[in-house]
Amino acid sequence: MRSLLNFLLRYKNLIIFFILEAVALVMISSSHDYHQSVAYGVARSINGFVSKRIEKGHAYFNLREVNKELVTENLMLRRRIENLAAVPQTGLTSINDTLSGIRYNYLNAVVINNSVNKQKNFITLDKGARHGVTTGMGVASSKGVVGVVVGVSRNYSVAMSLLNTSFKLSASIARNDYFGSLAWDGRNHRYAQLSEIPHHVAVAEGDTIVTSGFSAIYPPGLMIGTLTGDQKRGGDFVTLKVLLSADFKKLTDVYLIGNLSRNERENLEKEVTNE
Amino acid sequence: MISFAVLIVLQLLIFNNIQFSGFVNPYVYVMFILILPMAIPTWILLLLSFMTGIVIDIFAGTMGVHAFATVMAGFARPWVLSLNITAEASDPEMSPSSHNSGLRWFFIYTVTVVFIHHFSLFFVEVFSFTNFFHTILRVLLSTLVTTFFIILFDIIRPRR
Repeated sequence: MRSLLNFLLRYKNLIIFFILEAVALVMISSSHDYHQSVAYGVARSINGFVSKRIEKGHAYFNLREVNKELVTENLMLRRRIENLAAVPQTGLTSINDTLSGIRYNYLNAVVINNSVNKQKNFITLDKGARHGVTTGMGVASSKGVVGVVVGVSRNYSVAMSLLNTSFKLSASIARNDYFGSLAWDGRNHRYAQLSEIPHHVAVAEGDTIVTSGFSAIYPPGLMIGTLTGDQKRGGDFVTLKVLLSADFKKLTDVYLIGNLSRNERENLEKEVTNE
Repeated sequence: MISFAVLIVLQLLIFNNIQFSGFVNPYVYVMFILILPMAIPTWILLLLSFMTGIVIDIFAGTMGVHAFATVMAGFARPWVLSLNITAEASDPEMSPSSHNSGLRWFFIYTVTVVFIHHFSLFFVEVFSFTNFFHTILRVLLSTLVTTFFIILFDIIRPRR
């Protein structure tokens, strides 16, 4: 007994070291469900509270640029309205059912915490369950796709950034509709990689890459980025380098995109594939 | 205690926002571990390291990664001190600084502990040895920048 105590005393530093490192490793390895777990709710709330105040300060410095982006976007929307209004009316009586045709609803949110320098980056937003946010909603800025919501608390939500090595997105080349899988390789925050494009597809520098709409998260045709011209050949497919149109370093205002018919669609797909 | 608060605030407000092309991420909060008094018992040092790491983790949203790396740095500190000891630096009441022990000594001490911290930090974050050279480059560049800032703060730090 005495020698055991002596042993423990003698190696107490080493033992404490191993215990602390073990605790840290357990925390790291359980961090993949960190964003869902209740245990970290407190940490998330503190983080959200402080980050929100920091972000409020930051927002002032970006106002000019945000305004400019909003004006361009308004202009684009106005043009779209104009186009829609110009569609010739058919002879049929139109009933104004505002719900029937709508597939997606949008919610604006402010980024209150964000990073680009880790391998697995997450974005904290100032909207939560109270505002109708659910996991699986898409996140986009006025420039392009940003991420997908993976965790929601009462007032905040956390989105997995496109700049996360676990993030995968079905994307297509706007010009010819060939689709592939878009992912980030963890290096430069301006570029992502579009893989699984067949050899024979003709691509050019500057081609637009948009969402394919296969994932039920984003509507089809949402901007992601443009091709840089760099490509890597391997096997039957080419991997293309994509310049992301959203600059993740100056992300402030974003949209949350909810697919209203998502459950219906996923249930149907599950039903068919299970047979 | 004050140095702890100042370093954490500096880290969160300024240094978490410094990213040169994804390669350089300075983590100056390690300085808190570096400047604890020479004679501090190792077990207190380890617990303080763990706490510091957890605080940074909470704000960075990376549960455990910083705690792991900082405990590693805290564990390495007495070894580095004993390997690198000089006559004028051995006063147990003193805290390590360039003022007490000379710039050259402090540089070697800082660069070693910071390297150990950053090495474990970046590799635990990536959690694999793929892209080994890419990660090691991040470690080396960030170590240099962190060391630069720590020495700068050490020189301008107010003394009793």
